[in-house]
Amino acid sequence: MTIAAPTTIRPLQRGFRGRRVTGRGALVVLVVVVLLLVTALYPFNDLYTLLLTQAASFAVAALGLVILIGYSGQISLAQAVFFGIGAYALAIGVTTVHLEFWVAAVAGIALAALLGLLLGLVSLKVSGLHYLALVTIGVQTIFELWLLNQVNVTQGPQGIVNIPRAPLPGLSLDGDQAYLVFCLCLLCVLGSLVWWIGRMRIGRAMRAVRENPLAAEVIGIPTYRVKVEAFVLSAVFGAVGGILYTGAYAFISPDDFDLNHSIIFLLLTVLGGSGSVFGVTLGAVLVVFLPEWLEFLQNTYMAVYGLALILLMIAMPTGIWGGLRLIVGHWIKPARPPLPAVPPLTFRAPASKSEVMLAVRSLSMYFGGVKAVDGVDMEVRRGQVHALVGPNGSGKTTLLNVITGIYEPTAGDVLLDDRSITGLRPHVIASRGVSRTFQLIRLLRSESVLENVMVGAQVGRWAEQAHGGLTAQAMAALELVGLSSIAYEDAKNLPYGHQRLVEIARALASMPSLLLLDEPAAGLNDAEKQHLVELIARLRSESLTVVLIEHDMEIVRSVSDAVTVLNFGKAIAEGTCESILRERAVQEAYMGVVDVVA
Amino acid sequence: MSEVGQLLVAGIAIGSVYALVALGFVLIYRATNVVNFAQGDLAMLGAYALLVTLTVFHLPFWLAGLVSLGVMAVVGILFGLGLYYPLRNRGFMPIIVATIGASVLFENGIVAGFGASPHVVTGMFGTGSFHIGSVFVNDQYALLVGILVVVTAFQFWFFEGTLLGKKMQAVSQDKQMALLLGIPVGLMIVITFSYSTALAGLAGVLVSPVLFVSAGLGSGITMNAFAATVIGGFGDVTGAIVGGLVLGLVDTFGGAYISFTYEQGFGMAVVILFLLFRPQGLFGERVAEKA
Amino acid sequence: MSLLELRNVSAGYGQVEVLHGVSLTVEPGEVVALLGANGAGKTTTLRTISGTLKLRSGEVWFDGVRIDELSPRQVVCRGLVQVPEARHIFPGLTVRDNLLLGMSNRGRVSRSQAAADVDEQLRLFPVLRDRADALGWALSGGQQQMLAIARGLIAKPRLLLIDEASLGLAPVTVKQVLEIVREIRRRGTTVLLVEQNAAVALSLADRGYVLETGELALEGTAGQLSADVRVSHAYLGGSKA
Repeated sequence: MTIAAPTTIRPLQRGFRGRRVTGRGALVVLVVVVLLLVTALYPFNDLYTLLLTQAASFAVAALGLVILIGYSGQISLAQAVFFGIGAYALAIGVTTVHLEFWVAAVAGIALAALLGLLLGLVSLKVSGLHYLALVTIGVQTIFELWLLNQVNVTQGPQGIVNIPRAPLPGLSLDGDQAYLVFCLCLLCVLGSLVWWIGRMRIGRAMRAVRENPLAAEVIGIPTYRVKVEAFVLSAVFGAVGGILYTGAYAFISPDDFDLNHSIIFLLLTVLGGSGSVFGVTLGAVLVVFLPEWLEFLQNTYMAVYGLALILLMIAMPTGIWGGLRLIVGHWIKPARPPLPAVPPLTFRAPASKSEVMLAVRSLSMYFGGVKAVDGVDMEVRRGQVHALVGPNGSGKTTLLNVITGIYEPTAGDVLLDDRSITGLRPHVIASRGVSRTFQLIRLLRSESVLENVMVGAQVGRWAEQAHGGLTAQAMAALELVGLSSIAYEDAKNLPYGHQRLVEIARALASMPSLLLLDEPAAGLNDAEKQHLVELIARLRSESLTVVLIEHDMEIVRSVSDAVTVLNFGKAIAEGTCESILRERAVQEAYMGVVDVVA
Repeated sequence: MSEVGQLLVAGIAIGSVYALVALGFVLIYRATNVVNFAQGDLAMLGAYALLVTLTVFHLPFWLAGLVSLGVMAVVGILFGLGLYYPLRNRGFMPIIVATIGASVLFENGIVAGFGASPHVVTGMFGTGSFHIGSVFVNDQYALLVGILVVVTAFQFWFFEGTLLGKKMQAVSQDKQMALLLGIPVGLMIVITFSYSTALAGLAGVLVSPVLFVSAGLGSGITMNAFAATVIGGFGDVTGAIVGGLVLGLVDTFGGAYISFTYEQGFGMAVVILFLLFRPQGLFGERVAEKA
Repeated sequence: MSLLELRNVSAGYGQVEVLHGVSLTVEPGEVVALLGANGAGKTTTLRTISGTLKLRSGEVWFDGVRIDELSPRQVVCRGLVQVPEARHIFPGLTVRDNLLLGMSNRGRVSRSQAAADVDEQLRLFPVLRDRADALGWALSGGQQQMLAIARGLIAKPRLLLIDEASLGLAPVTVKQVLEIVREIRRRGTTVLLVEQNAAVALSLADRGYVLETGELALEGTAGQLSADVRVSHAYLGGSKA
């Protein structure tokens, strides 16, 4: 297999983990500083200053949606609720209960986080984006009604006035311009935080969940926890935005936190570009200022926003920032820190444990009347390559799905290292050292090869301790499959055979003790198959236990130590490749037989 | 006792509105897997179409109603072609956002065009009514329920009794196979959108003498239609009808006995409870996810 | 002139090319078997014929007309009917209604003609006649397979493509399906039979082709192929010792 000539790989340098300011990063910092100076010094008229402040507070709230929608792929029409909780908690806390500003602020954030937690937990139980959208609209509706009607707490429609601004030691924020600068600084800080979250493990985990929740779960990402975390974070940012908002006009009323505002937050997230911090800032400015600049929009702006949502989805789903990034990307290449040259991954032979790595006992999986797996017994010995074969529909993938926890078996048991893993959630099983690949490749297509493998690396128990850093661990896995030279390529640009290998690298990066490969040779040409066989042989020589579902008998013959044959959900033969091929039952299963009896 | 009866009548009447809208909702969902967040606003547009034909063209109510239905059928075609067709292969999120956008567009577009204040529409029977025992039944309510019965019967006949109806069922059950048989799937989907929008428009026309015609009519109806399908069982036609009626009763009784201001909230609460504890609704089937 | 001809057809999904330059013919009145292990490209071949999958190169000719650019609807209206893998019976419609919809490629059919055609199919498939008003989901796998074939026949096909008819069926049901296909053949319908189960297919067919990883590995009469040990290699490996 030909692999592209290696690009420069320099030896590991000290301080690798620190961010180096490269071309694009420097430009960003420069632009931000300039903008800050401009807004701090330029004498805007009063209205514009306040509008900019409002835009800043909207942008902060929308940062929450960047995380929820952009990163984790969920949806919420209730962002105005968290915005409102922050705002009202602060307003009521300071003006009615006479708390200290910061105490009230923290209380508001905590309250919002709690509601975010609840909403997140509810979202786990509803299956599907539509239901989630509906539930969030419901929460929004109830919140609005409460704001209007619980007059003794919220002052109802008349709102709350004279809300003070944040008391900073030594600085006064009474001046509108000063307050604007404060809000912008906070936006920069929070925006950087959200951007940083996107680059860190939690962001990577969220993106994996967004792309394919099932694959993420099986890789080892605790998808439920990740989704709930996304909701909590979105609530926190929403509340902070609301707190900033109170200081803009020093007045809030229920009208500011209605469903329209939730839709506006959604719009500005989508308008800017869902995954992008800059995008939402741009979106916030547009959404706040367009009705000002365009007179005719004064009364019809919501209608226009509705139309904008439709057109954006049809014509510009990545938003304005997505478009800009394409243009900018031509001129300024993204930062690519040099990658460490590391030796390929090695697997330690574990301390003496039982000979049987994986045991399947009388396993049955029935779907209604269909017996996909019917009383299967199978033992996979440690350090062996065990092939699972059988004609189409014989239950091989279902068996694999039960082993990895996607289905709970109707009957029977699965034991890993003599411990039962039956009925455990997939990510728990993965954390016990089980990795798998899928028949249909499930990679993060719009991300680099390296990012994809790092997802695998970050769920491994021994990852960092063994190799000093996620990136190094991922590189070691890539080196093992032979793809370290293309670490920065986008996954979607790779030829099919390479994508397969990336998936295998991802599975290896978590240092599993059991690797399950589901038809890894499907779609590969001869040279690629040869490379695959060599890879599996190498893994076997390092005492990694492999279970291989494969149709290509050549591969099974050349690399497997033991074979189990399934047909109609039952195990009909077990032994070495040669011995099972001689069995009549196996030949009949594959080739078919016509009943001689009339 | 008569108060309960009164609430019952009102609940069934408003429930019929929800049921009509929910029917259209379910049909679109079954044919295209799209959840149309703008369905209630389509009902609202129907109400405004009626308003225009009554006040501008001075047509008699029954004719105005029919014309409005025709208009809404055309709107449905445009909706399907303009919104669904470009997004049909793109996954759930773009369609959800786009239909939410459509909802916002319709609602605020109407406000821009007609103003925000509600309009009064006189129904076919004026303020006529009749009595069942001690219960006073508004003629318009009776018409609502009657039309629901007629539509249900028509729908049953259409889908079970005509070839076209069976082809549409086929499309919603297995689009790929329908294509392989030579059924014009695209045309079926456009017809589905047209019919569902006409249903929504019908609901809007019928409800406008009872509730005031205003732009905000739509969102309340959408939520309740959605809630009806959840309660009845997402994707099930009978469920949509039963769910709509149940919801109408829940809203009316809840509003009367518990709290009027939170009337909108009851539907929501019931929906959330169903989603948590019985997501398949009353009639739907639990669909197991296969890897 | 052949009824169906594939000339050097290559096709695939996304990045993967699954078929590499496959050529085959089907003459009128024949039953031709297309064999191969899972993943060899049999279903992909059928998809290129029925118009569901566009070719990367090559041509498909049906009855003297080039059809690889046509939509599935246009293809089936020309009499090229497919009975797909996994049957795809409409679960919520009755047996009768499933059959009715099978006529969708024939243009306007009068009510009486339609009723007559449905009855004819029910006569041919007694198993279905007993359940004419049952809903699709209530039928067993074998009954669904019968219905799928009947639905294909009611379309008055010039060529019937049957994909994996024996899949997931118990041996005794497979025998029944075999009988049906023999009867179809006796009545003069041309059939292209895609099958993983080589023995079943070869017992029915006049000729056969064997696909191996997207290429044509063998061809010959059914008799020749049944005796050829290389066929088993295509399934069980061993040809590249």
